Amino acid sequence: MADEKPDIARWVDEEAKAIGLPIAPEYRANVILNVERSLAIAQPLLAVELDDELTPAPVFRP
Amino acid sequence: MSDPLSKAATAAEIARAVAGGKVTASAVVAAALQRIEAAEPTVNAFTDIVAERARKRAAEIDGGRHRGPLMGVPFAVKNLFDIEGLPTRAGSKINVDGPRAKRDGALVRQLEAAGAILLGGLNMGEYAYDFTGENAHYGPSRNPHDPTRMTGGSSGGSGAAVASGQVPLALGSDTNGSIRVPSSLCGLFGLKPTYGRLSRAGSFPFVDAFDHLGPLARSAEDLALSFDAMQGWDPADPACTDRDPEPTLPSLRDGIDGLRIAIAGDYFAKGGEPEAFEAVATVAKALNATRTVVLPQAAVARSAAYVITAIEGAQLHLPRLKTRPQDFDPDTRERFMAGALLPGAWYVKAQRFRRQYRANVLKVFDEADIVLAPATPCRAPKIGQVMMKLAGVDLPVRANLGLFTQPISFIGLPVVAVPTRKAGAMPIGVQVIARPYHEQAALRVAAHLEKEGVCVSTPP
Repeated sequence: MADEKPDIARWVDEEAKAIGLPIAPEYRANVILNVERSLAIAQPLLAVELDDELTPAPVFRP
Repeated sequence: MSDPLSKAATAAEIARAVAGGKVTASAVVAAALQRIEAAEPTVNAFTDIVAERARKRAAEIDGGRHRGPLMGVPFAVKNLFDIEGLPTRAGSKINVDGPRAKRDGALVRQLEAAGAILLGGLNMGEYAYDFTGENAHYGPSRNPHDPTRMTGGSSGGSGAAVASGQVPLALGSDTNGSIRVPSSLCGLFGLKPTYGRLSRAGSFPFVDAFDHLGPLARSAEDLALSFDAMQGWDPADPACTDRDPEPTLPSLRDGIDGLRIAIAGDYFAKGGEPEAFEAVATVAKALNATRTVVLPQAAVARSAAYVITAIEGAQLHLPRLKTRPQDFDPDTRERFMAGALLPGAWYVKAQRFRRQYRANVLKVFDEADIVLAPATPCRAPKIGQVMMKLAGVDLPVRANLGLFTQPISFIGLPVVAVPTRKAGAMPIGVQVIARPYHEQAALRVAAHLEKEGVCVSTPP
């Protein structure tokens, strides 16, 4: 997604429909704004490269 | 030493006075209830006051029961802690319709077992998704040092109640900075212990991966006293450590000899207002700390902490977002909704990165016992302020007050937030960060700074 700017409004509308989350018209603009902000804040994480061997720290103890 | 009935009295001073028979617990509780009544119209710290329960407990203490290191000390808790008989609000309107708590949260029980007396539940940002202390349902908590300014959040009521002198001790929670941010903006000592050190049983969750509970106070001694009373394994919290408790009070006055203290550079030395770095410099100078260390990839850590928080928090609240969106605080609702729409792949990547970051940061602690960093990027913004300028860049207040706290809680390191204050200015804090399970080292540094008069917390 680095090169092409994602269509955030469409992302919000389609994803909300897919997970069954109704977003009232009066909330929609702010949800879009917050997804945009999240995308900006997530950039450093999305840009980093991780080794395939790097797994999350396990915490579950059966 | 302060008058044990005054707003300046610390928990330790009150406990000594009650234990020594200089004052009764009942008189302490009566004085605290009076202070709460007087200060509430200004600071809006409390959502629930349990006066009858507190008076009864105080009478029992005066009758010779519940003797302990915190005997007669009034305290209050962020309203995400269970209080028997009350709904656990967690800053929300929705939870008020839920069940009443059948028993107190684990840490409330432990403090009361040590002789402390619960006075009530404290205001907070809705569901703890907050750095401001604002709340649409219950009103903002207000900074006692300037009521037009934010307390910081989400443990805003905890900051306001202790800074105003209503109580000497409060409990808060810290997922990304919610103890350290209000400690910084309200000029308090705050302890975010190691992840898993204190039981979270009987508290309303936010992001299980990062949720911590801990105390806010006006002295390092009060943090140590309360922390020691709350330590211990609890099978009711799956993340709670089974390590033996490690009391911090006995060595609190040992000073800083033998501690290698460094300053966090790179990420932690930019992106804030000058006062944040001046505060670190003041503390570093008092500790003779000159060495700089780098916590590698801290910017990625902040990013990953944000992603995990947004997705875990949204997942927790998704059923309520679907059925009762109108009952959320508008300032959290659309952030939670946005979090529900973020890709799962981001979450897993953030968790994978977390393991790498932890390993690299722990290597830094091979060379330093304590790392200093700013607690907040600025002093308290105005209540209602939406944007702020940090290092010349316009940024949203809500997402950015925790810039410097997020990369630390992300891997569960213990931190004491210590207060600094220039004459005529609002307070601002510094993070004193230690390696996992070394709260004792951070508390020793805080006590030293307090003794030297560099970090002092006084009610207005």
